[in-house]
Amino acid sequence: MAQKRKIGVYVCHCGGNISDYVNVEEVVEGVKNEPGVEVAKTHMFSCSDAAQQLMIDEIKEKQLDGVVVASCSPKLHMFTFRGMSERAGLNPYQYVQVNLREQCSWAHTNDKIGATEKGINLVRAGIAKCILSHSLSAIRIETKPSALVIGAGISGMRAALSLADMGLAVHLIEKEDEVGGWALKTALMGPEAQNGPDIAEKLIARIKQHDNIMLYTGAELTEKSGNIGDFNVKVRLNDDSEVTLNIGAIIVTTGFDTYVPQDGEYGWGTDGVVELKDFRKMLNDGKLERNGKPIKDVVFIYCVGSRQKKTETCENPNSYCSRYCCTATTFTAKTLHALEEKTGQTVNQYHLYRDIRTYGKMETVYEEARNDGALFLRWDPENPPVVSQADGKLLVKVQDELDGNDEIEIGADLVVLSTGMRPRDNESLDDILKIPKSKDGFLNEIHIKLRPVETVIDGVFIAGTAQSPKTLAESVASSLAAVAKTGGLLKKGYVDLEPLIAKVYEDKCTWCDECLKACPYGAIEKNVCGDKEIAMVIGALCKGEGACVPVCPHDAIDIEGFRDDQIIAMIDASIKDIK
Amino acid sequence: MSKVSSELAAKLKTSKEFNAEACYHCGTCTALCPMGYEVLPRKLFREAMLGLEEKVKARIPEIYQCLLCRMCEENCPQDVHIAENVRYLRNLINKEEMNLIK
Repeated sequence: MAQKRKIGVYVCHCGGNISDYVNVEEVVEGVKNEPGVEVAKTHMFSCSDAAQQLMIDEIKEKQLDGVVVASCSPKLHMFTFRGMSERAGLNPYQYVQVNLREQCSWAHTNDKIGATEKGINLVRAGIAKCILSHSLSAIRIETKPSALVIGAGISGMRAALSLADMGLAVHLIEKEDEVGGWALKTALMGPEAQNGPDIAEKLIARIKQHDNIMLYTGAELTEKSGNIGDFNVKVRLNDDSEVTLNIGAIIVTTGFDTYVPQDGEYGWGTDGVVELKDFRKMLNDGKLERNGKPIKDVVFIYCVGSRQKKTETCENPNSYCSRYCCTATTFTAKTLHALEEKTGQTVNQYHLYRDIRTYGKMETVYEEARNDGALFLRWDPENPPVVSQADGKLLVKVQDELDGNDEIEIGADLVVLSTGMRPRDNESLDDILKIPKSKDGFLNEIHIKLRPVETVIDGVFIAGTAQSPKTLAESVASSLAAVAKTGGLLKKGYVDLEPLIAKVYEDKCTWCDECLKACPYGAIEKNVCGDKEIAMVIGALCKGEGACVPVCPHDAIDIEGFRDDQIIAMIDASIKDIK
Repeated sequence: MSKVSSELAAKLKTSKEFNAEACYHCGTCTALCPMGYEVLPRKLFREAMLGLEEKVKARIPEIYQCLLCRMCEENCPQDVHIAENVRYLRNLINKEEMNLIK
């Protein structure tokens, strides 16, 4: 039911972005006599402080109970004008933005008359929606001052320590019986020869001492319910006992797996063909011999399991670059050189690469490796190196792009494959957390640049190599980013959520469970109301996406702010004759 | 196809005199050679460093035709000691191929 409303309509020039194509004065003329409109005018820049103050003064003076600003996309300024409405004493959800720029003036630069007519229709629809708007308030959730960190590699341990230092209770769970992750198994690491086990052990010692951290090893998440600020999870321990935890946020640092080559891939399976990590172990032990003979020639092959293209033998290619391998391999060249200096044994190093990506500060590692005498040969992915075996030696054939693609045959004692990273198989955890994945299988953030550790599930953050291949430094940076988001959320004590979510009309609902099946967020529950079963919306989980609305056979569910009656009124208003 | 000689590669790698690691194959040396011979330091040095013995041997005439005028060296953006490297290769060939130096 439309009641008598007093609505202010402000049409923006946006400098000329809108008014160069849409005649804004004609738009004002076209809408000022719409029902409910108290005042209609234009502003040069509605978002300017001066224009906002003029609108605030007018809202107060004329006691307006609804505002429509016809300007840019709500993505840009919806919160600006919601804030303005609030400062004017108006409920922010009685503000409606009409997108007159992206969806009108910019789209119809070749048809000014048509653009103006469309502008009138759009603003009329906005007014119709505003008439049917009512006060709403944000959903406030009290947050629990504790967090769950899943995976106790370097990223997870670093996150747990930082959260614990903030005064939050941290539950750190690790599937393996030992914490420390890959770093514990990696000897010296580039670019500055840090020792992996040292780094890991220092963190482990602090974790075990910290009063605020509870560490569970051999532990797996088995259940998760609740919502941002207030999750309930169950963790199964290796003695089959189960603990229930009540936490405010979750950080997922489940890490990566190494790529294991297919049989025959660059000679994989042949004696003397090894992975980089095993070769690094050899160097760490200080032994440069194989089968009792000194090693004279080593061939490194880069990009194994990274930057793949789909072929008959490779159905699910890893199309990404694994980021760490170029630095790790060129750094290994330096480690090997240092061992040569120490032992007096000369080892020829042939590095067969596609592109060297020792980005940022790591470039000096590559330069030093070259200066130390490591030889770099570039190959084309169309003609990859071929590894075979003859007379107890390995033969590597490669076409060197830097020498006119001439085929070169290298007799090698050892072939080292620089294998990339792979997303970890965590099927049961994936089923519980439901974090979307990229097509490469890594966990997906909301926005790769602007919201890099948040997921579509509020209160669940991702960090480290669970998200994408990263170096250790990058993993820790992302883990501390997740700590900042988690700490900000939990230390504040509460979180306000958008109230533009689904609502159930109890009188119409007959509980057929169609909405439950349609909801991708698990935000619908069965509830008993008197003697009747009806659907209930869990406010903190609902995203206002609307999948439940069209499937309801009784029109018993609506999305606030986009209710059926509002949408119908908008359609009616926008198809009226212009004059 | 050319085969790598592990011995040659190791010799050049450990040599104090021969040093062409910094070469980034710009071709300035080739462009400036007043003899116009196809000495091609950048190719020659790469082949030598990789230990491609047969290829180096095939270039013996060119290695000896070089005037050692250092026009290339003066203009090398990476400061590779080109003339020194050529002399090193001559020395190596004298010794190993021609048996001139005992």
